[in-house]
This record gives sequence, C-alpha cells and structure tokens, in this order.
Amino acid sequence: MVGPMYDFLANPLGAVRSTFDKAIGSESDPSSFDGKDWGAVDLFRHFLFDQARLSQVPILNGATINWIKPNTLVRFRGMIQDMLGNELYVGAYKDGSAWRTNKFMDISQCPVEFNSPDMRLWERRLLYCVPVPGLSSWAESISEVAVNMCMDSTSEQRDKRRRMDIEVVDHNDFPVSGDEFEYSPSAKRMKEDPKNEGPCSSHVILPDVDRDSLPCLVKIYDSPESELKLNDVFEFVGVLTFDSELPSEKVDQDEFSNGLCDDVSVNLPPNKVPRLHCVIHRKLTGYDFLQNSPPTEPKPHLVKEAREALLRHLTSILGNDGVAAHFMLLHLLSRVHARADNVAVGKLSLNLTCISKEIASVFGTKLNIVIKNLLPFTKCIPLTVEYLNTVFLAPKKDYQINRLIPGVLQLAEGSHLIFDETCLETGTLDSVGIENTRLLKALAELQKVEYDFQYYKMEMMADVQILVLSEGKSNILPADIIMPFQPSSSGSSDAVPAEVLEAWRWYLATVRSMPHTIESDMQKVVENDLVTARQADRSLGSQDFSRWLTMGRLISASFGETSLSLEHWQMVKELERLRIDRLK
Amino acid sequence: MASDSSPGRNNNGPSSPDEFASSPIGNTYSSPATRTRRRRRSTTPLPYNTPPTNQSRFATSESTPTTTPHRTRHHVSTPSSDGGPPLSSDAGDDIDEATPTFVWGTNISVQDVKAAIQMFLKHFRDGQSQGSEIYEEGKYMKGIHKVLEMEGEWLDVDARDVFDYDVELYGKMVRYPLEVLAIFDIVLMDIVSLIQPLFEKHVQVRIFNLKSSTTMRSLNPSDIEKMVSLKGMIIRCSSIIPEIREAVFKCTVCGYFSDPVVVDRGRIGEPTSCLKQECLAKNSMSLVHNRCRFADKQIVRLQETPDEIPDGGTPHTVSLLMHDKLVDAGKPGDRIEVTGIFRAMSVRVGPTQRTTYVDCLHIKKTDKSRMSAEDPMELDNCNGSRRIEEDFQFDEAKIQQLKELSKQPDIYDRLTRSLAPNIWELDDVKRGLLCQLFGGNALKLVSGASFRGDINILLVGDPGTSKSQLLQYIHKLSPRGIYTSGRGSSAVGLTAYVSKDPETGETVLESGALVLSDRGICCIDEFDKMSENARSMLHEVMEQQTVSIAKAGIIASLNARTSVLACANPIGSRYNPRLSVIDNIHLPPTLLSRFDLIYLILDKADEQTDRHLAKHIVSLHFENPESTVHDVLDIATLTAYVSYARKHIHPQLSDEAAEELTRGYVEMRRRGNFPGSSKKVITATPRQMESLIRLSEALARIRFSELVEKHDVTEAFRLLEVAMQQSATDHSTGTIDMDLITTGVSASERMRRENLASAARNLITEKMQLEGPSMRLPELLDELKKQSSFAEVHLHDLKNAVAELASEGFVVLHGDSVRRV
Repeated sequence: MVGPMYDFLANPLGAVRSTFDKAIGSESDPSSFDGKDWGAVDLFRHFLFDQARLSQVPILNGATINWIKPNTLVRFRGMIQDMLGNELYVGAYKDGSAWRTNKFMDISQCPVEFNSPDMRLWERRLLYCVPVPGLSSWAESISEVAVNMCMDSTSEQRDKRRRMDIEVVDHNDFPVSGDEFEYSPSAKRMKEDPKNEGPCSSHVILPDVDRDSLPCLVKIYDSPESELKLNDVFEFVGVLTFDSELPSEKVDQDEFSNGLCDDVSVNLPPNKVPRLHCVIHRKLTGYDFLQNSPPTEPKPHLVKEAREALLRHLTSILGNDGVAAHFMLLHLLSRVHARADNVAVGKLSLNLTCISKEIASVFGTKLNIVIKNLLPFTKCIPLTVEYLNTVFLAPKKDYQINRLIPGVLQLAEGSHLIFDETCLETGTLDSVGIENTRLLKALAELQKVEYDFQYYKMEMMADVQILVLSEGKSNILPADIIMPFQPSSSGSSDAVPAEVLEAWRWYLATVRSMPHTIESDMQKVVENDLVTARQADRSLGSQDFSRWLTMGRLISASFGETSLSLEHWQMVKELERLRIDRLK
Repeated sequence: MASDSSPGRNNNGPSSPDEFASSPIGNTYSSPATRTRRRRRSTTPLPYNTPPTNQSRFATSESTPTTTPHRTRHHVSTPSSDGGPPLSSDAGDDIDEATPTFVWGTNISVQDVKAAIQMFLKHFRDGQSQGSEIYEEGKYMKGIHKVLEMEGEWLDVDARDVFDYDVELYGKMVRYPLEVLAIFDIVLMDIVSLIQPLFEKHVQVRIFNLKSSTTMRSLNPSDIEKMVSLKGMIIRCSSIIPEIREAVFKCTVCGYFSDPVVVDRGRIGEPTSCLKQECLAKNSMSLVHNRCRFADKQIVRLQETPDEIPDGGTPHTVSLLMHDKLVDAGKPGDRIEVTGIFRAMSVRVGPTQRTTYVDCLHIKKTDKSRMSAEDPMELDNCNGSRRIEEDFQFDEAKIQQLKELSKQPDIYDRLTRSLAPNIWELDDVKRGLLCQLFGGNALKLVSGASFRGDINILLVGDPGTSKSQLLQYIHKLSPRGIYTSGRGSSAVGLTAYVSKDPETGETVLESGALVLSDRGICCIDEFDKMSENARSMLHEVMEQQTVSIAKAGIIASLNARTSVLACANPIGSRYNPRLSVIDNIHLPPTLLSRFDLIYLILDKADEQTDRHLAKHIVSLHFENPESTVHDVLDIATLTAYVSYARKHIHPQLSDEAAEELTRGYVEMRRRGNFPGSSKKVITATPRQMESLIRLSEALARIRFSELVEKHDVTEAFRLLEVAMQQSATDHSTGTIDMDLITTGVSASERMRRENLASAARNLITEKMQLEGPSMRLPELLDELKKQSSFAEVHLHDLKNAVAELASEGFVVLHGDSVRRV
C-alpha cells in the first residue's frame, strides 16, 4: 500500500526490524547502537513528513482504541502528566547467530539469559500522558476527521472489512461497556487477592481511565531529557501495544518484589492503559489544533479583519461594553513570554467585576462558550466554599503508588481558566481551602503552581490565562486588570459560522506567537511617560507599569505589528483612563 | 559483570572460612561465580575452623559440622532468585578452579587485587600522620583494632583513601565491586583473625565517599554492576522483611531436629524424609520457626533532591536494598548519600524489562537544602548519637572557594548586592538583613543567664516599598524560616497551642510559627495588623527566646531561638512627617526595644529612582531579562557562605572594638537624654548595647574574621543610626527632617564628603596658624580648587565640610570666616 518495502502503518515493527538487520549487517556490533537510532526513525520521518502521510496515521483515543490493531502505527496527542522514570530493557540479543532487537516492543520474542554477553541493555523513558485537560471539542474533532480520512483513503474495502472484523472480535472478547471494561480488572484482582488491598492496591484514586480521556503510557527512545517536559503537549507517533489478554493479574506478588518492582505495571496494567512506543514526537502549538492547515504567514489585512470582527463579536457578547471587549481581547492574547525574578512578564489576567449572580447567569455561560470556541484548552471553575474545601488543585505525589496525582491546576501551557466567583458565599475555609486559595493566588500573581511532593514542594511554571467573574474585586485571585463590567444590553448570541470561528482561532494563535520589540526612541517615550506618571501619582508601582507595558505589547500585537508604536501606546493610556474612570 | 573467578577459593585457608559470607553483596545469585563456588563447596567439604557461633549478617552456617550436605551459605537473596528461573547459565562451572587468578571476563588478577588491598589496609596512613610517625600503624589497622574492641561488624573505608593510595585498585573496585569487595572482605578477615583469632563476628568493609557521585538521572545501563554513589531523599521505606537464612526442621514422628538448612538460591530444601537413621519417616519434617535464623532486609525508595531536577521534570526515584544494619538507618524525608552497587533484575511483566536497584553498602545523611540550622552551641549535643548522623559538611573545594570569597575587600558590599538583587536602593536595609542572616554569637553564662545571638529587625515603611519582597527573600534564604502574616496570626498560632487529639482524647501540644522557626528566621508580615494580644506574646520570645505554656495541664517551656523579621506600615498607612517616629510606628516601646534594628523605609519622590524603575520594567518587557546579569552571588553560594560562617566563625571582640563600643554607647545615651525628649526619641538602653555587639559580631562574621574590629563597631553604629534615620531626626521634637531624607546622602556622596573634609583639614593646617587670623570661606574654596581633584567643589559643600571640622573642634566657624583653634 505504502512505501516500497514495508507497510509503515500496519507493520511498523517490520520496518524497524529490517532496518536493524541492515544496520547490523554493516556495523555488526550492536553496542554501537546503544542509546541511538540506526536509521529507523529517519525512515519514519521521511514517510510521515516528507511524504506527508502523518494524517493517515490513526489517532489513538477512547473511541479508536477498540478497533486499532496492536503493533500498528498510531499517534497520540496529549499532555505529559507524569514521568515515570527510565526503564531498562533488553534492546538487542543474539538469537542463534543473528542479532535481533526488541526496540519499540514490549515483549521479547525470545527471552535470553540475563547478563549474557549476547545481549545489550538499553534504556527508554516512560511518560504518562493524558489528553490535554480542558481540550475544546473543536480541537479534538480533528481526530475524527483524521480517522475518517485514514479509513477512506488508505484502506481498501477488504482492509476495512478486516478491521471491522477485528472490532467485532474485540467486542466479543470483551463484551463489556466502558465503565465495566474499566473497572473489571481491578475488581477481579481484588477478589483474587485480598492482600492486595494494601499499599499497592489498585483502587487508589487514579485519574479515571474512561473512554473520553484515554491515558497512554508513552515510551520514549533516545531523546534528550530536556526535550520533553512535564505538562508539555506533544504528538507521539509510534507503535501501539495494548494487550488486553496479557495476564497482568499475577498473584505472586510478595511484599519484597512489590517494593522493588516498578509500580508501573501494577498501577497501569497494560490491559487498561495502552502503551505507545514512540518513534517520533513533536511538540504541538496552537496551530496544530486548527482544523485545516491555515496560512502561517500573517497577512496584515487578514489580521486586521479578524481583529475587527472578533472585537465586534466580543462587544456584542459583552452587552455592548466596548471597553471590556478591548480588555477581553488583550486578555485572550496574553501569554507569559519571559520570567525575571519572580515576575511572569506578559500575563494579563482579567477580573470583570460588578457581576452579580443574575448577570453571571446571562453573560457567564455565553462568555464560556465563546472562549471555548476560540481557545484550544479552556476550563470554567465556579468557585464555592465547598469547592475550595474539597478540591485538589495542586498535583500531589503519592509515594504509595509512585505517581503524580493530577490536580485541577495541572494544565498545559496556554490554558484558559474562568473562575466564577459570583456563586461564592460566606463560609469557613478549612485548611485545604486555605491552601487552595494560596495556590490560586500564587497562580494568579506568579504563574506558578506548587506541586506537592510531600517532603517538599516544587514550583512548576505555568502559563494560564485567568478570567475572574466577581461581584467586587476578587481577593482570592488578584488579577492584573480590574474591570467593572457595564453591559448596556443583554448581549447577543448569534451563531458564528464555523469558518469565521476558524479564522479567529487562527488569528489568536498567530498573534500570540508573534515576536515583539520596542524601538529605542519609543522606549524613551515610554520611560518618560512612566516617570511623569509616577511623579504625579506616587501610588503607581512596578505592577502598574508592567501592566501598561503588557497592554502596549498586546495592543500592537493585536494589530499584527511587531513593535510598539506611539499610536498604540496612546491607546493603552486611553484604555487605562477609561478603566480608571469606571473604577471611581 | 559476573565473576567466575572464585576469588576466595585458593586462599581458603583456615582463617577465611567463607569469604563470601562476609560480603554484603556476595549474596546475589545472578553471579554465576557465586553459584559455581557454592556447588563446589557442597561436594568438597572444607576445613572450617571458625568459631561455632557466627554472628555475621550474611554468613550463616559456620556452626554446622562439615558433614552437613548443604554447606552453601546464603545470605540475602536478591529478587532475581526469588523463585524466578535462574537468570544465567552455569557456564562458569566448566572453568577450572585450579589457579583461578582472573576476575572473569577481565584481566584483573585476584592475587594482585588481594595484595593491593592488603597493602592498602596495612600501610595506608593519613596525610598528617605521615613522616614522623612512620612506625605507627596505618589508619585502617587502627580502625580494625577499634572495630575489634567495639565488637563492631564493619570497617568504613573511605574510597578517597583507596584512590590516594592505589588508583588502580580504586578503578577496579568501582568497576568490579562484587569481586573486589569479596576479596576485600577476605583480606580483612585474614587480618582480623591474625590479630584476634577468636573474634567471632564477621567484619565487613563498607566503602563510602566515592570520588564522583552520580546523579540519579545519569544512571544508565553502563553503570550496571558498578559501584555508584547517589544523593537523594528517602521517600518510602518498606516494612522490614525477615528473610530466612537457616531453617531447622523437626520430624513430627520421632522429634528429631535436622541440622540447619541454609537457603540456596532463595529456596530452602525441605528434607523429604527424616534424616535419623532409625526413623526415616517420609514427609514428616516440619519447620520449626523459632529455631530458624532470619535476617532483615528493607526496600527503600530514594528520590532525587529538588535541586537536581531540571526544569519541567519530575523527580526520578530509585530503589535501594538495605541489609541488616542498614535497615531503618534512614527514614522518609531524610536526605542521604548512598554508596552501593547498581544492579538490574528482570521483572515479571516481560522478560525484556529490567528493574534496577542499588544494593546499599553505606549510607550517609546529608542536608544541603537550606542553610545549615545547626548552631555552634548545639553541635556537641547531637554529635555521636548515631554513626551515620553526619553533619552537613562542605567539601574542601567549596570551603576554599568561600574563603577566597571572604578575602575579597568588597565582600560586604558584594553580599549586600547579592541579597534580593531585584530590589534596588535600600542598601542599608539589606546590610541589616545580612547581619540578621549571619547573626551574632549566642552566649550562655555559667550563671545561667543567656544572651541571644539572633538579631531582630523591624521594617516600617510606606506601602509599595517592597518590604514584603524583602521578607519573602529572607524567608527563602533562611534556615527553617516561617512566613506568617500578622493579620492571620493569633497568639497561639505564633507560639504554641494545646489541642485535643480527636481519636485518643489526649491533649497535645502543637508548635506555632515561632517555635517551628527555632534557629531560623520568623518573618511576620503586616506586623501592625496583628492583634495586641498576639504581639504581646512576642515579648518573651524575642528576648528570652523561649515560649512558656501553661494551659490545659501542660506546663512547658519551648525553645524559640528565632530571629524575628517583621514589617509594618506606619500608623495611618503612610508616614506622617508631622508626627514623631515613635508615634508613626505606634508600637509599645517594650516591643520596640527588642528589635535590634528598626528601619524606616520612606518612599521618596525621587525622579532618579523612578527613572530607574521605568527603565527596568521596560527592559523586562522588551528585552531578554536573562541578559541583564549583575555581579552577584547566586543563592546557592550565598546560602553556603552564610551557613559556613554561622557554623565555623565565632568572632570575639577585640579590645579596640570594646573600647569603641563603650565610647559610642555613652554618646548614644547622652543623645537620648536630650532635655525634654525622653518620650519622643528611642533612648539607648542596655539592649542597644547588646544589639551593637551582635551587629558587630555579625559584621565580623561576614568577613570570616574571628576578631571583631573597630570598623565593625563603627559600621554597627552606622547601621543603627541609618535604620532610624537618626541623622535626620530633630532630637527636640522627635520628628524627621524630611528635607534631609529627600536629599538623602548616598554612600558615594559620603565618601566624597569625607575626602573633602580631609582635604580642607590639610589645607587649613597648611595655610593657617593655630589661633591665627581667620580666613574667609571663598578664599579657602579658591585654594582648594587649585587642587585638581576638587575643581568642581561648591561653596556649599565646603561649608558642610568645614562645619564638620568645626564640630570636631578643629576650627571655629563664624559666619563666613574660619579660624583655627
């Protein structure tokens, strides 16, 4: 079907093997492949990117997992939620006189003796990946398309039928629906081995492995550590192993081996969490979530058009409050672009005040929908005392199962959060609640989240846009911009055509990623303005200056420009004046 | 790599009955050599003459007669042997044991290694004992004697000593630890039995302090079976796993007790029939638990320390296997350094995967995260409680580096700059905070009176003068710091409170912030918002450094040797120039006097500062912030510097300094006694005197100097003055002369003035006679301007300089005319 020699999609391991054989033939010593590739990856890269076959690779998710065959090429888009360390495996071994490799495989085909010279131990990294939290449906839908495309274009009729057969067979094997499918193994284990209720028992709170959010254990080969970071969003292309038949319920676990054995296999049984042996990975940006590959070159008129239309739309959504719409646009464009001593430069959190419960019920949902439609990762969190007292905001390390338990605030870079404080009522915060408010405050002020590693906390950088809806100024989440909301109408809710939405998404993604500078003479002007302002009003501090500069940057960026102009700087001052007027 | 060399075979003299018995790691079955040896031994009984009751951790069956069929001794079996299939072939069997001289697969000769180790143990001497005491015993011979005296079970061997003595041996040891350590143990036992033939225990070698320690991240397949040294934090300890070493069976028919059966490859060979000739009943043997021997084993999980984790990574963990004495040597939360052997074993999931662990040889506790909290006074008490409890130690290179640093003439300024580099100005505040970090000497008199060494600081200032940021910074830097906000702190929350345990109903004492920051710095933000009640709790803490509790039947006094760093806004949020300083701060004098330094941080409308700020923020937004590097020390160095100084430098007052202190104090008293000012000015009290001593000690510490010198005292006085803006205070009213503050005098300016004053003095000495005719200032100025360096001097400056001279009584100033007196 594809490729001259092997079917990359259906039998990627064949390609791996044959390249290995070829390489070993010329090199003859497998130790030269310790920690590096022998050419297989290049072949895949050529196939996927140079021949642009990436879209033919089926996307792995809760829906497709049931019909994708193991040992085929799949891709998985997700956020690195936890890193499970390195794993050693027998990378190459001598089978008779010929060397064989186990790279990109879970199970050796021919186990060899330990410590024999006819064997090379290699290393791979284990990453636990989950679908990006708060992924908007439009960003997700691409997978369906890809699947369909893949089915249509690559599979001939016969092939298709074969796959459907498999699907049927799979269903026969596992005639349980989602939930049961999920929980039955652990239930079974508990029945078989009551001892397992101990520290290693499987009913510890783990992220739900349901159909919508299929996690994946990605095994990374030969790539530098710095390339993949926690909370990064990646697309992994590799060989799937998902073996529902593999007997994972071995009951012979005495305490000793449990303690030593990596908990991976215990807590992430291979019949629940698929394994992906990653051949190629790439970091995803906002662009990659857009439906059809858009023009990457930001044409000035396109940018301006999109800006005007989007601003109009935001204004009408916000009940004709133009100033609020302006700030909203800037807010949606913000991102942390630098950090210097505890200051996250570039963040612009927005606090819309004067929003009572009633107003929130009108505008809150609309706003939520708009933002969901515009940004790839969004979440809306209604803050209540009860919520604060119960929720786990910060990720926490559970040493019993050696896993990082995700918290609400473990988010991918560029996520958007709406905090709705309008439903917050008086009540008492307990220690959890206080800790949670502290976390929220740190997130809003420093764009950092403290991960709880029990013996110490570790600060992780975050880049989250925060929008707060509240009656008065929010004390839990101190925002950069306090904006009294003054709608003059109830706000429209016209349906926006899909292609317009698409254009706006493209606009936001483009503008956010643009570089920005300031000319030296403009810099002088700005400096002078700041000094004059401070001479006039002693209460102005570095935070106010920072806000102005961020706004200046974002305003000129929103016009598609890469350096600050005087006109835009004036706009900043004007916007600030309007805002201050409202605050009085 | 596995060994097939049977290192001990040919030296199996009477003195070393079982070389592997004493090896902490010879207990692994993955090594074919071990197995081979075992098998041979079972066929060829060997002469044993070890004492019958061997207490070694690993060794087991010395007490059994040689006729026992199972002579093999087995110690801790590693998981690979745990019922799993044998992992390696017994290919080693074929290799003849006759003159087995090489470590299998290498060209390392067993005899050579043995000889080298013998040489090392017998002849290694410490650097200092070389030369004159050449006839004295080597370091490790002494060590062995000591072990024998103490009836110890191990000998700690510093790997660096091995390296210094024999680089080659060190290399072999690190690369083939299993084999070399086994030989090491044999040699050791040889020596031991020479010294004391009846010594019953097995003495083992424990290697520590490898030349290079590995980070957990960089462990890779090539490290397998090598000796590694890792640092990390224990996060989980398994319960202690008893592991059977010797089993004794009893015949249920005739009551015959079998000889102890030794574990072989993780299995006990249960006799199928009674061994007694008269009985021979089939399947009658049952295990007698209380006659079996067990050994302890524990699995510990070690995690990377936070400082080793790269950005965007999660900590790595590695499993450690602890044997016998090392069991429970560390508990979760401890930071340790482990020396051990990195090993791999297969896991059940798939035969291709390997789990790795480190077989521990030695662990050492470390703590490097924050400034070492150990105070000199406490050192004696906590030493020697446990062998592994070793203090935070700096390595030589680091100490050298710190000392180099301390020798720099501008170290004081440099440290000041490095403290919160993102906050400008406030240099004198930073100097005060620096003193707080270093601290003075705590003193305990024989009479029981004690003087605190901790320096308390209060920052009072206008909003937006980055007080909180300073607090946060100090909190990050200080040992055991606690950060609280006055508004959210109650009296009990700060000190200690009694609560009822919900389950047992017992009353328990819970420590508050101040107690928790014992020997650290307690940072209290928004001190003014604190309730009166809570504040009064601080009185005791800040002077006596204890917290006394008498409630719910609990009467206790808890240590709270903490420095307090508090910050507050003036009354009415902004400093009111019309009110006196005291009225502005509005804290009870009892509390105020307990602060060594009280800083008034006033927001001056200074265009220069504003411009600086504007520039900084613009550059922050539009340039790469990383590019603006200052000449500052990084936090780690600063922390190390501070903790080294706190621990090792204990400066004493020099006579000169003491004199200066007395003089200055009298002066201060005099000023405070200004008629009619008693309520308006902070009067000097003996407390101030103590403060000054503490400050000067801290200043000497900053220079790593063991002697407090005169200039330290001068600087301490200056700090005290500057803190209260006393230079600008009108003593009659207690208010601050705002003009003086706004036209504030910078350090460089001060320098310039001093130069000018001395130049003027010289000029006057030169030009004017004592009690001679007076000279007008403009004339003096013209004279001065002839000197090139003073071309720019203004009359105003000169006037100030002359006024200063006049205050010294050098000249008399009448209007414009100067007269020398």
